Amino acid sequence: MLIWVTHMRSKAEIWQGTLALMVLKTLNSMGTQHGYGIARRIEQTSDDLLAINHGTLYPVLLKLEQEGAIASEWGVSENNRRAKFYRITPAGRRQLSAEVTQWAQATEIVGRFVALKGQKA
Amino acid sequence: MRGSDGELAEELESHISLMAEESIGHGVPPEKAWREARLRFGSVDAATESYRDQRKLPLLETVLSDLRFASRGIRRNPGFATVAVLSLAIGIGANTAIFSLVHSVLLQPLAFSDPSRVYGARSLLPQSFGQNAIGVNPMQAREWAKHCPSLEQVALTRGRGAQIAAGGEPAAFRGADVPHNLFSLFGVSPLLGRAFLIEEEEEGHGRVVMLSESVWRSRFSADPSLVGQSILVDGENHVVVGIVPAWFRALGRDVYRPLVLRKDEIGRMNGNFNYSAYVRLRQAATPASAIAEMNVVLARHSGPAGTRMEVKAALIPMHELVTGRARSGLWMLAAAVGAVLLIVCVNLANLMLSRTASRGREAAIRSALGASRGRQMGQILTESLLLSFSGGFLGVVLAGWTLQFLAATSSFDIPRLEEVRLDNFVLGFAFVLTVVTGLLFGALPAWRFTRTQPQEALRAGSHTVTEGRGGLRLRSALISVEVGLSAALLIVAGLLTSSLTHLLDVDKGFSSDGVLTVDVGLAGGRYAEASSKERFFDRLLSAVSVLPGVSAAGAITQLPTLGESWNDPIYLEGAPSEKKHPVNNRYTSPGYFRAMSIPVLSGRVFGESDRGRSVAVLSEKAAKLLWPGEPNVVGRMFMGEDDKLKTLVGVVAEVRATLPSDAPATAYYPYWQRPPGGMSLVVRTTVDPRSVSGALRTALRGEDAQLPIPAIRTMSEVVVGSVAQRRFQRGLMLAFAICGLLVASLGIYGVVSYSVARRRNEIGIRMALGSSRSQLLGLLLRQGMAPVVFGLGVGVAVALLLGQGIRGLLFEVQPADPLTIAGVSAVLLVVGALACLVPARRAAGSDAIAALRLE
Repeated sequence: MLIWVTHMRSKAEIWQGTLALMVLKTLNSMGTQHGYGIARRIEQTSDDLLAINHGTLYPVLLKLEQEGAIASEWGVSENNRRAKFYRITPAGRRQLSAEVTQWAQATEIVGRFVALKGQKA
Repeated sequence: MRGSDGELAEELESHISLMAEESIGHGVPPEKAWREARLRFGSVDAATESYRDQRKLPLLETVLSDLRFASRGIRRNPGFATVAVLSLAIGIGANTAIFSLVHSVLLQPLAFSDPSRVYGARSLLPQSFGQNAIGVNPMQAREWAKHCPSLEQVALTRGRGAQIAAGGEPAAFRGADVPHNLFSLFGVSPLLGRAFLIEEEEEGHGRVVMLSESVWRSRFSADPSLVGQSILVDGENHVVVGIVPAWFRALGRDVYRPLVLRKDEIGRMNGNFNYSAYVRLRQAATPASAIAEMNVVLARHSGPAGTRMEVKAALIPMHELVTGRARSGLWMLAAAVGAVLLIVCVNLANLMLSRTASRGREAAIRSALGASRGRQMGQILTESLLLSFSGGFLGVVLAGWTLQFLAATSSFDIPRLEEVRLDNFVLGFAFVLTVVTGLLFGALPAWRFTRTQPQEALRAGSHTVTEGRGGLRLRSALISVEVGLSAALLIVAGLLTSSLTHLLDVDKGFSSDGVLTVDVGLAGGRYAEASSKERFFDRLLSAVSVLPGVSAAGAITQLPTLGESWNDPIYLEGAPSEKKHPVNNRYTSPGYFRAMSIPVLSGRVFGESDRGRSVAVLSEKAAKLLWPGEPNVVGRMFMGEDDKLKTLVGVVAEVRATLPSDAPATAYYPYWQRPPGGMSLVVRTTVDPRSVSGALRTALRGEDAQLPIPAIRTMSEVVVGSVAQRRFQRGLMLAFAICGLLVASLGIYGVVSYSVARRRNEIGIRMALGSSRSQLLGLLLRQGMAPVVFGLGVGVAVALLLGQGIRGLLFEVQPADPLTIAGVSAVLLVVGALACLVPARRAAGSDAIAALRLE
C-alpha cells in the first residue's frame, strides 16, 4: 500500500495534523534535528512506505514553532551548510502525549469495528 | 520580513543539498542525485507559498508586492486607468466639496457661544395679507425684555446702510443700528476696542461706530490704531470704538452704530414692524415657555382704540435663520453627488469585471500554484484601491479649487460661505470615502475573479474563460443600476430647470426689458436737510429723463424682487386695531410706474401738481383691504405713512416683492413727502440699455461728483440675481446629471462591446445561417437596451418617490411633472440606443467567415 501524498488543499489539514504528530514524535526520540533529518527519519520509521514531499514539512514546522511545541536555532549541518535545528519543548512534550493518547483511542475504536467485520466474513 | 524569506530559502536549499549529497555518497552521479533530490523534495515554490500562508504575518510584504503588480497592470492599460482615475477624481472631488459645504453650513454649530439658545424673534399676524412672520417693533422688544423671565437677553436691531469715504473710493456698506448688549447676547468679543455703551444709545450722544474685520482689513489695512480715530460715516464724523471679528457674520453687516430710538418710535405698539430682534433663552427655559410669556405680554398691550390686535410671537432658531433657506437645497445636492459617485463605482466595477474576466487563466494558474482565494481577492482590491487613491487625491485637489472659486464669487448667495474650508474633518471624510469607493468597486470583480474553477480555465483550446450567462446578467444588472441613478438625477435637474424657467417667466407685475437701474445713496452731512435730499432727486430725475435714448425715468426706495420691506399699517380713520392692515410701503417718483410699465388700474399716479398735498397710490390688493368690494375708491382718504391722512389718487396693479411669492399689498407715496436717504433709479431706454449707462453715469457725477456710484445694472440682471441660489442649485444638479449620463452611457457602450465581442461565434453562425444585417442589429439592440429600459423604469419610480422631498425647492412644477419625465426618458433611450448601436454595427458588419475563423 503506497500512499502518494500530494499537495491537495482539501486534505491539507488532516495531513498537517498527522505530520505534526510524526514530527513531534521524531524530535522527542531523536533529540535536536534539522529539517532534512526529520524527513529522512519519518521515511525510515515507516520503512519507506511513506514517501512524503519534503517541502510539506516546513509549514508544519512553522506551525509547531508558532504554537510553542518546538523551538529552533541556526547551526551548521554535517556538510558544513547553514541549517536550522529544531528541538521539542516541554509544552511540545505535553502536546505529544495528549495527541498520542487520542490517536491510540481512535485506533482502538476503529480496530474493534474492523475486527468485527473480519469475524463476519 | 525579507530576512525570514531569505532564511527559508537557505533552509530549503540546504535540505535539498543534504539529500543530494547523501545520494552522491551512495554512488549516484551528482547530476542525477541533485535532480532526484529536487523531485523528492517537491515544489520549492509551493512549500514557500504554504510557509508564507502559515506565517501570515508579513502583511506589509504582501501589500507591497500586490502594489507592484497592480501598478504594472495599470501601466500596461493606460486607457482604462485614465478613465478610472478621472471619473473617480470627479466623483470623490465633488462629494468632498459638497460635504464641505454641508458640514460647514448645515452641520457645524454657529460660532458664537451656546448657539442653541439664541433665537430670532418675529411677529405673527394671522390676518396679514400674504405674509407669515414679519419683524418686531421697539415697544414689543422693550416689554419682552422687562416681563419675560425666560429671556435672558433681548436685542433689537435695525438695518441701516452706511457710506464710508475713508480708505478708498466712497462705497456703500450694509450696516445695522444695534444696542449695547447685542454682542454680549451673541457672546462675541470685539477683536479690538469695545462694544457700545448704554449711554451711546441716547439721542444726542457723540457719534460712534464699530466696523467689521473685513472692512478693517480691506480699507484700513488692519491698522490697530484705527480704534479711537474718527472717520466719516455718511458724511459725519464717527469715532471707531471697536472691530467686530470676521467670524461673526450672523447679521451679515459691516458697519454697526448704536440704536437710537426716538420716543415716538418706542411708543407705537401696532406699527412699524421694521426691526429685527434676537433673544437668548435662559438655561432652564424652553422655546415654548418663552413664546408663551411673550404672547402674554403682547396680549396685555392693546392698540390706542382699546381693542386688541392679534399679534403672536414666533421664535426662529438662529441656525435656521442663517442657513434655513439653503438647507433643503444643500441636502439635495449631497444626495445627487452621492448618486454620481455610485454611478462611477458601478461603472468601474463593470469595467474591472471585463478586465478580470479576461484574466481568468491567470487566476486559475495562481490558484493551482497554491495562492489562497483571500490572497487573490486582495490583489484585485489592491488594484482598485490604488486607482481609488489616485482618483481621490486628484479629487481633493479639485475640491479645494472649487471651494476657493465659490468663495471668490459671491454671486451664489450661500450662507456661511466664509466658514467653508477643507479642514481635517473634511479631509478625513475624503479619505474614508476613497477607501470605501475602492473596496466597493473592487469587491464584485474580486469575488468573481476567484470563483472560476482552475480545471475549466486550463482546459486546452479556450482563449478566454467563459463567464457563463451569469456574468452577462450581472453586468446588465449593473447597467440597470447606472441608468436608474442617472434617470433620477436627470429628472431632478429637469424639475429644477423647469422651476427656474417658470420663476423667471412669472408675471412680475412690471416689465424689465430695456430698464437700467442704479442705487443712489446720499451720505449725511451735505444732505442732512430733507430739502437738500428732495432737491437732489428732483434735479437728478429731470436730468436723467431728458437723456437721449431714455423714454421714462423714475426712482423707488426698494426695487421689486429684492424682498418685502417697510411694513407699516394703512387703515381708515378711526378704525379699530384689527382693521389696521400692515402693507409694504415705498417712496417713489411719478415716473416710476411708467418706467417699469406698471399698469394704472384706476385714477392716476401722483405728479408735480400734487406737491403740497398729502397723496398716495395703492396697489389693488391694498385698496381692497381698505374698501372691500367698492369699485371706485379714487379720491377717498385713509391713514398711512406713519399715521398721516392721505388722499388716494390712483390704484395700480400688483408687483411681486419676491419672485416666488405672490405680490404683497403695497402703498406708494411721493418721495418729496419725506425724502429718503437713498433710492434706486430706474430708467427705461428705447435703445440698447448699455449705451445709455455711460450717459447715466455722467449725469450722476454731474449732480454730485462725490457720490459713490455702485454698478449700473439692467433690471433683468437684478431679477435673475434675486434667484441666485436657485440658479446655483440648478447649475450643479445639471452638471452632476450630465456627468452621470456620460458615465452611464460609457458603461452601456462597454457592456455591449464586451457582449458582442464574446458572441462573435454566435454572430458569425447567425449570419451564415441567413440572418440579415438589420435583423442582427435589431437583436443586439434589443438585448442591449433591455437593461436600459428596466433601469429607466426603476429610476423614474425612485425619482417620483423622492420628488416629494424636494417639493419645497420647486416652483409651479409638480414632482411628477410628465413633461420632465418624458423628456428624460427620451434622452436616456436615445443615448442608450446610440451607445448600443456603435459596437453592434461594428459586429453586424463583420465578415461571417472571419468571425468563425477567429476561434
